[in-house]
Amino acid sequence: MSKKGAGTSEYTNPNLIPMIDIMFLLLLFFMLGADMGQRELEEVVLPKANSMKEDKENKEKDKNRLTINVYHRYEVKCQAYAKGGVCRDDAHWRTGIKGKDYSEPEKLGGYLKKEADATRGLDPKNPQVSELKVMIRADASAPYGLAQRAMNTCAKAGIYKVEVGASRPMDQTKKHG
Amino acid sequence: MGGGGNIGEASDNPVEINVTAMVDVIFCLCIFFMCSFHFKQLEGKIDTWLPKDRGVFQGQPEKVILEEIRVFMKWDAANNRTIRKVGNRGEVESDEALMNVVIQMTNDYKKAGKSEFPVLIDATPDVPWQEVIHIMDMCKKEKLERIEFAAPFEMMNKGASKN
Repeated sequence: MSKKGAGTSEYTNPNLIPMIDIMFLLLLFFMLGADMGQRELEEVVLPKANSMKEDKENKEKDKNRLTINVYHRYEVKCQAYAKGGVCRDDAHWRTGIKGKDYSEPEKLGGYLKKEADATRGLDPKNPQVSELKVMIRADASAPYGLAQRAMNTCAKAGIYKVEVGASRPMDQTKKHG
Repeated sequence: MGGGGNIGEASDNPVEINVTAMVDVIFCLCIFFMCSFHFKQLEGKIDTWLPKDRGVFQGQPEKVILEEIRVFMKWDAANNRTIRKVGNRGEVESDEALMNVVIQMTNDYKKAGKSEFPVLIDATPDVPWQEVIHIMDMCKKEKLERIEFAAPFEMMNKGASKN
């Protein structure tokens, strides 16, 4: 590309190799860091709680855990919710597991029962009870009725290990680093 | 990079490769992954074990000697706030007042020699989840580990009609 003339004009060609090297590194970083699997955790504004326990990532433990997300539908533009208020339009809320919609109680019940059956009967004293853990991650302003419905559906399916998701308040987060 | 001259200089290569297209593609990929990159938020959990042997309770309640610790919550849409009551007492205005009543009731249980006394949260479906979590949070702070949730009204009615 570079043409060095006989002193009349000179084209300088930037050396692209280091830039390509760095870009490859960046690309690798983002590719490895990207989460391309089914997203278990939806973007939910969790309620704040001081007494919450830190949920350390444990792949073995997470195998027996299901996360139910209750969140405001992203595609619905709701003024009340956008202003940080309370939206009580049922159609605006979604109950989802691994990105799929389980807002209908029957559908949720069917899915939970199927999942619970796999871990049922491990305790001989309570053969109807499942060892499956369910984490309910509901939006801070979500109607309690939706979380309550999820809990009732769990109880019906024989799931009694229920956790609720919460986040630490900002000042607490700073204190704990 | 080492050696005598710079590797990659145009003078080294008899056949030049046009890297512009590759750079374009890498740029696009970089932008795609940068945009889709998701930083993890610090999250936690609050355990709420449901009763192991009962599931949804549909029978008649046991004879209550001591008053059960039941926190009622109702959403007041007009004033954008939650009305909270403990048992059959009047509305409590502050968190401190609410917890004082709850602690007083737990002391009654302790005096009666009972070590297990669940705090029952009975909220209407339209109460914001944050308010429910707040009650749970305050109970956990006071070392009240057994927190239960009242079944929805329609479910309790179904249970009663079956019996």
